[in-house]
Amino acid sequence: MIPITIISGYLGAGKTTFINKVLKETNVPLGILVNDFGDLDIDYDLIKNDDGLTYSLPNGCVCCKLNDDTGAALESIKTRDISGVLLEASGVAIPIKIANYGLSWPGFSLNGILSIVDGQSIESLLHDKYVKTTVKDQLIQADRIVLNRYKDGIQKKLLELNSEIYKDQEIQNYPEFIQESFFSKKEVGNFQKNHFAFKTCSLISKESIDKDQLEDFLSSNPYIHRAKGWIRDRQEKSWLVQMNKSGCKFLPCTYQTQTRLIFISTKPINFKST
Amino acid sequence: MTKTLKEDQSITVFTAQSVITMNKSLPVTNAIAVRNGQIIETGSLESMEPWLSKNEYKIDDQFKNSIIVPGLIDPHLHPSMAAVLLPMQFITAMEWRMPWGTIPATTSDEKFDQRLKEAMVNPTHKELFITWGHHDLWHGPISKERLNSIDSKRPLIVWNRSFHELCMNNGALEYLGIKETDVSGLSQIDFKRGRFYEMGLGYAIQKLNPYILAPDVFQEGLKKLKQVVHFGGQTTIADMAVGLFDFETELQSQMTLYDNEETPFRVELVAHSTALPGAQNTTEAEEIIAKLPERNSHRLKFRKRVKLFTDGAFYSQVAQLLEPGYIDGHQGEWLSTPEQFEEATRVYWNKGYTIHVHVTGDLGLELAVDVLEKMQFERPRFNHGFTIEHFGLSTPEQVHKLGKLGANISANAYYLYELSNIYANDSVGFERASSMARIGTSMREGVTTTLHSDFTMAPAQPLMSMWVAVNRINEKGKVMGAEECITPQEGLEAITINAAKVLGLDHEIGSIRAGKKADFTVLAENPLEIDPIKIKDIKIEATVFEGKVFNIKTS
Repeated sequence: MIPITIISGYLGAGKTTFINKVLKETNVPLGILVNDFGDLDIDYDLIKNDDGLTYSLPNGCVCCKLNDDTGAALESIKTRDISGVLLEASGVAIPIKIANYGLSWPGFSLNGILSIVDGQSIESLLHDKYVKTTVKDQLIQADRIVLNRYKDGIQKKLLELNSEIYKDQEIQNYPEFIQESFFSKKEVGNFQKNHFAFKTCSLISKESIDKDQLEDFLSSNPYIHRAKGWIRDRQEKSWLVQMNKSGCKFLPCTYQTQTRLIFISTKPINFKST
Repeated sequence: MTKTLKEDQSITVFTAQSVITMNKSLPVTNAIAVRNGQIIETGSLESMEPWLSKNEYKIDDQFKNSIIVPGLIDPHLHPSMAAVLLPMQFITAMEWRMPWGTIPATTSDEKFDQRLKEAMVNPTHKELFITWGHHDLWHGPISKERLNSIDSKRPLIVWNRSFHELCMNNGALEYLGIKETDVSGLSQIDFKRGRFYEMGLGYAIQKLNPYILAPDVFQEGLKKLKQVVHFGGQTTIADMAVGLFDFETELQSQMTLYDNEETPFRVELVAHSTALPGAQNTTEAEEIIAKLPERNSHRLKFRKRVKLFTDGAFYSQVAQLLEPGYIDGHQGEWLSTPEQFEEATRVYWNKGYTIHVHVTGDLGLELAVDVLEKMQFERPRFNHGFTIEHFGLSTPEQVHKLGKLGANISANAYYLYELSNIYANDSVGFERASSMARIGTSMREGVTTTLHSDFTMAPAQPLMSMWVAVNRINEKGKVMGAEECITPQEGLEAITINAAKVLGLDHEIGSIRAGKKADFTVLAENPLEIDPIKIKDIKIEATVFEGKVFNIKTS
């Protein structure tokens, strides 16, 4: 299985720059898929083994593109000695939708979703008339966020959407950062057996929630891929909740919050605290 | 003069019970004089005397009991999509009238299975049998077991009406070499049920491409489309995204099959802006598009125009919506970033192109309107032809702005027929579902408005599109948004002269007057006088393309 890492993020966030940094330091051959129409800025000199490892893919849904270029590129990658694939999503791609390539294409697995964020522009994008929900999805659905062009106070704002934030300037080794398998501890195959694609569901409640019950629910429900957000427990304590395939974490919150959880799952999630 | 038609100075006069000219200066006549593919006069035999007394002529009265209207125009369909679908066997919930016979509505599980059993005796693609049109709401959930119980050995594929998923029986899985071990555990392939969705569908399509895109099958599909276009009474169609699958294949196969005297229509070609071979960005794409007219032939022509996109497909519920959005809270999708759309628009706008924009939801429309407003501020243009294609959901205020900004609308009215009931219940609610294709408002705002099929999203029958726009009746027989109904006169304008305006061809086609091309559609009844509910059932007897008669055989 060849792992696919989704590199998501809005136009101009620094996705290509990030990929170039990975390519500069990598010791293993990586395939690069660019799912966008625009100038291809991938530094070809950095691609180590032979040519043809970078694929430019115009945008479009599979229904309107019978000659699915992404699929053809993946098939071609399978015939080569490639250790991993970086898929640069288009600026408006919904990451979990693109991630379905990693879950649905024979011979590949999903390593994880990275979202690259430009700290200077993210706030205005989160209020943009056209793309606010798209950009928000890109932040919420990411396994990790890489923050470029740091701006004071921005991290705190982003923490409301995702707690796994890494400053670009603090990343020591880019290939290692990519290769750390995001879902290493739990077998991914477990929840992939059903045919549903990723969906997002949310749980917003004014009532307090039983923390232990939620923890059991999260660790026993095979359909949940990720869960993120905050809860207020029965003792009126607030917790930041982080659940991915390597486990479930509850971090105490210093400030009071209401229950607001988002699930990314392959089936609708209906959690009721009793 | 034309290359393919012989120079012939003799005059042919077609007489009719009535000629509806769509020229407001002379709306009704009963004779048309044609010379060398061009109309030299319409009026009566008496009024034509100055021409007839000085030239040789013959009277062709084969349409003397019929109604002649300008050749109908479908300004947006996809020949390559049709070429893939038409070789498949249609088994559909709605009735589809085809030149080779009417496909009856199949409306239950049992009837679907029965039809499948009968039809699969004749494979469609070598040994494969592929059907298109299955819809869960009508035909029940599909699965490998269900197909195996009909026939487990002969390869059988059921493609969903939405085109977004398909189902295979054991025979098909085996025939295509898809093994459980290859696909187990994948999220959008359900091997047990034989179903392939979205990205999983992409995998199935890779396996199917040698069959559905095989040159002989694709050409067979294009030949069938030729019959469909003729049967629908159309003398002009527009391929509104050349490059959907493969630019060169699409262009060359259409040139081979359509650029000859046996083809009763012309094809206006509009390039898909991001599907041009060799172009990585808009500047490179524009340079290629600028040279495409060098490849024009008599019947197939590129002009200074381009197809851009804002939001996702209307049938898949990924149109971008203004608040309050979808009932279930899901989000629509953009096909490119708004910044990229604006920049591409600017490149083509500043070079004087006619820009056709695929727009489905009201937020997608908001973007198109905002960008057009910006372009008009930066560099004003008149009669620029910026056209909103599809026009699913809109607000009255947006339509008003479109009028002020000089935009055109090319609407898929059929959305209202097929989707308004389901969308009222499950997608956007009644108010917005009943206002999809807000055509009455766009006519009142003075926006040049035409209707298209986007075939196979709707039947390639302009009279069907006109029927929906005039009556606004959905598949349940319910009137949706009565205030948005248009008159039969407006409906006929939409599929003739307005379509010609939207394609920038109104100086040549779209109405019957001296100087225009002799393109006519011959009808058994008068669409402006018949009970509007019968418009879609009017028999189309023949078409005339550049003076040459093409009769329509009825089965």
